[in-house]
Amino acid sequence: MPPLLDVRDLEAGYGPINVLHRLSLSVDPGEIVAMIGANGAGKSTTLMTLSGVVRARAGRIVFDGKDLVADRVPAHMIVRLGLAQSPEGRKIFPRLSVLENLQMGAFTRTDPDGVAKDIEKAFTMFPILRERQHQAGGLLSGGQQQMLAIARALMARPKLLLLDEPSLGLAPQIVVQIFDVIRELNRQGVSILLVEQNARMALKVAHRGYVLETGRITFTDKADVLLHDPRIRAAYLGE
Amino acid sequence: MTPLLATDPAAAFGQFVLIGLVSGLLYALIALGYTMVYGIVELINFAHGDLFMLGCMLCLQVCLAVGALSEADAGTGPAVLAIAIMLLVAPVFCAALNLAVDRAVYKPLRTAPKLAPLVSAIGVSFIFMNIGLFWRGPTDISFPKLLLGETNLIEGSGMGFTTKDLMVVLVTIPTMIGLTLFVRYTSLGKAMRATAQNPTAAQLMGINVDRVIAATFAIGGALAGVASVVYGLYFNSVNYQMGFQNGLYAFTAAVLGGIGNIPGAVLGGVVIGLIKALGGAYIGAEWSEALIFGILIVILLFRPNGLLGARTREKV
Repeated sequence: MPPLLDVRDLEAGYGPINVLHRLSLSVDPGEIVAMIGANGAGKSTTLMTLSGVVRARAGRIVFDGKDLVADRVPAHMIVRLGLAQSPEGRKIFPRLSVLENLQMGAFTRTDPDGVAKDIEKAFTMFPILRERQHQAGGLLSGGQQQMLAIARALMARPKLLLLDEPSLGLAPQIVVQIFDVIRELNRQGVSILLVEQNARMALKVAHRGYVLETGRITFTDKADVLLHDPRIRAAYLGE
Repeated sequence: MTPLLATDPAAAFGQFVLIGLVSGLLYALIALGYTMVYGIVELINFAHGDLFMLGCMLCLQVCLAVGALSEADAGTGPAVLAIAIMLLVAPVFCAALNLAVDRAVYKPLRTAPKLAPLVSAIGVSFIFMNIGLFWRGPTDISFPKLLLGETNLIEGSGMGFTTKDLMVVLVTIPTMIGLTLFVRYTSLGKAMRATAQNPTAAQLMGINVDRVIAATFAIGGALAGVASVVYGLYFNSVNYQMGFQNGLYAFTAAVLGGIGNIPGAVLGGVVIGLIKALGGAYIGAEWSEALIFGILIVILLFRPNGLLGARTREKV
């Protein structure tokens, strides 16, 4: 089976600065792939380039058989192809209610019944969001906002979900809860590209992993191999 | 302006409140264009007042073309036709012009430092003003009185509220209600709110942010166009500098209410209209500007985000 996402020699950045240097990676259907790396390595830039918010300067991003770079697919069309993102810092709409945030996640959809059903599903997955559905998104706690960001991205019914630092700034028991959800989503058939500074958690949940250093992939292997690699352990797992 | 009929103090006060409310609604209509554009692209569009002025000049041109030239024509076929054409043409003209300026001037500077588009907006303001000067000359031009009579609708109250005043209310309030419903319930309106709150997240939701920005300039321009029709018919005098002063009041109204906030712009407009009318009556018209901006400064000292800036959830 061809990969769902196939990135080749991707270059991207801001102004005169290139952040990503010939970055290549892939995600197969049904996979959880983790990308780990230090602050500033280019993890978020990678995801933002995949979503079309940052313009790719060279290389290929083939998603579900379509080359997003060659075809110059704009950001607002990429969601429609089935690629959604829960971004770094959650980027909840602070003055929209929780419910409206979820509806915004389904902006591209034209099936109100399906949307209503998926909102119900989100509330079942995250009961706290049901309780808070009429509260402004900006008033939620960090963990609740993270849940909302993930639920909002899922409202697009993505084939591939990009998750940027879902554990950042959250209490350990909430992190465990979030990673359980990631496993569960994957079991339901969603492929996931997970970017994390919490390398241990990420590699435990993932099938494969990439290590990103200053915009370049330096290691890639099965997740459990990376988890036991002494170099990775020293650099990213604090041992 | 509404004729003063009041003799007893209470009726006089009520009269000034009415004058303030009516002119405030007009400021509010212009203020909405400032506040919506700011809410989406964080640009103070200084050319907005002058866009409104050009709308007035176009309305005048419509009157000339149709042959509705004076009070004598009020209520006749040409007057009705002129008003109908103005209400159609002025909003479309102002929307298209605002949109074109965004395309040509502001859009290329979208990622530039905020000062660059701001200075460009000041430049566009002067260009518009010069076009107005070239178009209609430097003097005040009387705008035909096309509305039937000045019937006082609240005769016996000791106050005056004429058909003209009613016209302002009947045009501005439904326009504002329509805008509020549009922003709240339509797909484009929701996209505008989302974009105002977080443009990156809006893109990730599949919202075409460029289209949202264009729509915002178009709607803000259309509101200025509506305001220009109402202004011409109400004040019956236009000149090429009117955009500067009215734009300044409207911009102040937007800041006072909380820039980026739609109900705030309406509230700010009404507050400024009231200060101007009451201050002019009881303190002296020569102080009304100092009074407006003095009160603005005091309010901003205590509420830097404006009257509704921090409290309301709705930005655009």
